[in-house]
Amino acid sequence: MTTTAPPDASTTTASRRTTTRTIEPTTLPGLLVRNALEKPDAVALRKKHLGVWKQYSWGDYLDRAVRVGCGLLELGVDAGDKVAIQAENRPAWLFADLGLQGIGAVTVGIYPTSPAAEVEYLLAHSESVVLFAEDEEQLDKALEVRHKLPNLRTIVVIDPRGVKQLDDPMIMTFAELEELGSRRDPDGWFARAAERNADEIGVIVYTSGTTGPPKGAMLRQSNLLAVGQSLGDTFGEVSDRDEVLSYLPLCHIAERLFSIIDALTVGWVVNFGEGGESFVNDLREVQPTVFLGVPRVWEKMLAGVQIRLSDASRLKRANARFWLERGRRLAAKRMRGGLSPVDRVVAALGWLFLYRSVREKLGMSRVKVALSGAAPIAPQVLEFFWSIGVPVREGYGQTENTAMATLTPVGDVRLGTVGTPLPGVEVKIADDGEILTRSPGVFAGYFKNDEATADTVDADGWLHTGDVGHLDEDGHLAITDRKKDIIITAGGKNISPSEIENKLKVSPYVREAIVVGDKRKYLVALIGIEPDTVGDWATRRRVTFTTYRDLTERPEVHELIREVVDAVNHELAQVETLKSFALIPKELDQEEGELTATQKVKRAAIAREYGDLIESLYA
Amino acid sequence: MSDAPAVTTEPLLTADGVTLRFGGVRALTDVSFEVRPRELFAVIGPNGAGKTSIFNCLNAVYRPQQGRIRFDGHELVGARPGQTARWGIGRTFQNLGLFANLDVIANLMLGRHLHMRTGFLAGMAWWGRAKREEIEQRRRCEEIVELLELQRHRHAHVGSLPYGIQKRIELGRALAMEPKLLLLDEPVAGMNVEETEDMARYILEIQEQLGLAMILVEHDMHMVMDIADRVMVLDFGQVIATGAPADVQHDQRVIEAYLGQAS
Repeated sequence: MTTTAPPDASTTTASRRTTTRTIEPTTLPGLLVRNALEKPDAVALRKKHLGVWKQYSWGDYLDRAVRVGCGLLELGVDAGDKVAIQAENRPAWLFADLGLQGIGAVTVGIYPTSPAAEVEYLLAHSESVVLFAEDEEQLDKALEVRHKLPNLRTIVVIDPRGVKQLDDPMIMTFAELEELGSRRDPDGWFARAAERNADEIGVIVYTSGTTGPPKGAMLRQSNLLAVGQSLGDTFGEVSDRDEVLSYLPLCHIAERLFSIIDALTVGWVVNFGEGGESFVNDLREVQPTVFLGVPRVWEKMLAGVQIRLSDASRLKRANARFWLERGRRLAAKRMRGGLSPVDRVVAALGWLFLYRSVREKLGMSRVKVALSGAAPIAPQVLEFFWSIGVPVREGYGQTENTAMATLTPVGDVRLGTVGTPLPGVEVKIADDGEILTRSPGVFAGYFKNDEATADTVDADGWLHTGDVGHLDEDGHLAITDRKKDIIITAGGKNISPSEIENKLKVSPYVREAIVVGDKRKYLVALIGIEPDTVGDWATRRRVTFTTYRDLTERPEVHELIREVVDAVNHELAQVETLKSFALIPKELDQEEGELTATQKVKRAAIAREYGDLIESLYA
Repeated sequence: MSDAPAVTTEPLLTADGVTLRFGGVRALTDVSFEVRPRELFAVIGPNGAGKTSIFNCLNAVYRPQQGRIRFDGHELVGARPGQTARWGIGRTFQNLGLFANLDVIANLMLGRHLHMRTGFLAGMAWWGRAKREEIEQRRRCEEIVELLELQRHRHAHVGSLPYGIQKRIELGRALAMEPKLLLLDEPVAGMNVEETEDMARYILEIQEQLGLAMILVEHDMHMVMDIADRVMVLDFGQVIATGAPADVQHDQRVIEAYLGQAS
């Protein structure tokens, strides 16, 4: 079989050209140069290729970034030009990112899941001159729309297998770009990297936006470094012996923080697994010490444990029930500050009987810093992880403040809050309840959209987050909802839909919930079931089904969800209760505009698409 | 897709006047066709038309009474089944031909058996050449794992996996032989729509990335018409049409014999 290996599958660099030139470490490329000088042979990245983990040292990392940067110079890319990357997480993403920032170009990340129309919008709006497209699939999207993109000059294909258009003058491979770059004197790159300053824009992050087209948040090098520093300090005892798994989309600020920015500031090792379906295996093999998850990831892990437990023998189930109950008490104490000597003995026994094996299977056995962010997480999910000794801390922030606002402190976790401000961050609540933040992480503005920038950052530098919430007496922040999502019922009551939705989503059977009721007499909900758990439930009860849609139409399933809704209604005030609900007949999809790239539900789109279904609930 | 096969190149396989009889029953009558390098060639026809008989002739399981089948410089009529595999003909089966109690990697490694040179004793010692060879063979298997996206199932027992995945593993096992010509016997039989689409995608990817010639026997008409470069239609053991999918679809005899009944 003759398949050409992708360019980041081999770590054997023909000639290492590591320099002795130092550059002020005030930018990401500057930090890369510093690390490559200080510890050229230490492991920086690992990538699983053909079943084997390959390593890249900091020297390799810099070398490859320099080649890419020099290649782009050869293509005529200049400081201030935008260069887009649409790829899954892989070392080449990082080489391109750091290489192009070194010559003063600006990175625009595009979600690999973005359809062609969105790719067109982002490339056109950002005026990108070069696009790194991962493979045939991403290339096809770009080729579909390139005739509408006058600025786009070159498309660089990272993995050219199966690509038929390689003789197209506009297309070159990543390997060819590196080859082009290696013919140029690397000093050109270092000279340009030395000219960079902290106030320059390093990246533009397009916010997926649940309403309207995406907006391009411009982040300065100083924003990126400030947050890297602040988080590194907050995490405490992290060092270059720590390991992370890079798996959330790199164009999102959160993964960028862990895989790029803090990897450069702290120096920890970034692992790239096989991704996709293999994520669970990747996690188990890497056993990261620092882990960032979105609520969906944590929920999936918990659901996985629950499914496995229901398959286990009676004895194992009894054992798990016993230790999870003990764990819950330990969790409460851990969240309040610490364990007594007796608790420690209980925890050690529980470790022997349950927690160790569960954590190993989840890939959480070595985790010391665990974070959840990007969306609210259900307290029950948090509690489970604290029970087994994984202290998941909730963070709050948005792209516009470089994801830097608050984080729950280790010894003082208050469920329902997102913690206290990070070092260097001020948080206050405006008169209308909106949360405002001010910090060195506050962005430079939206690209080509001064109006939106003026609406977001005021004259005093306060960022208006668009979220409503309040601070408790000790400065812990609690978030009520997005300002624009607040429902005002026909009776004039203000209701936060996401509070109710999150209560529903606690159930392992509920994946999505959308509460509707603005200007209506009462509230109703559209509910998307979790196909794995509901499918498993149905199979156990010998309820036969064929497709997702068929599953949602089973009366037994409807009854199952009704029980969930009834239970939630019990916890709610009378005006907040759901009078009726319907199951969404399909899995929500980004391609069809129902979810954002970060898998958040677009309410307006859902309300439009399922208007009839909603009306039927009010009939 | 239709521009893929290069018309000028020598055919990889030429069947000329193949006739196969079982006693008084004529399974194949004067069947002739060519398969070109890199071509995806489909054979369709109603039940009992002789599709699987053709496969068995190519595999040298059956010996036709008349006709010649040339493959890459070898004569297949009269060869032994093991020889056809060594000459570069791989196949998948209608009913799975996998070892259910072995994991995915072991099943693929079995497919590489042809390419192993180590003797019994050296293999036992697993030293020197034997070790190097196993590492090399394993690397080849990993390439197939990547191509068919089987990473997640690498160490799962094949018997515990869903049917659609098992079919994919069987395809991988055939690929592990590094055939020049791959015979696919109803690769999507018993699959749902989604699994069928996946399989079609993998078949096209194999054609694009590995440049293999393939002969496909399939009942799923949509899939055949979507992905095949050329189609041969059989009825009662005789060829009634051969050509591009669009042409065959409009052939009056084909419509009468097969498509007409079906729709």
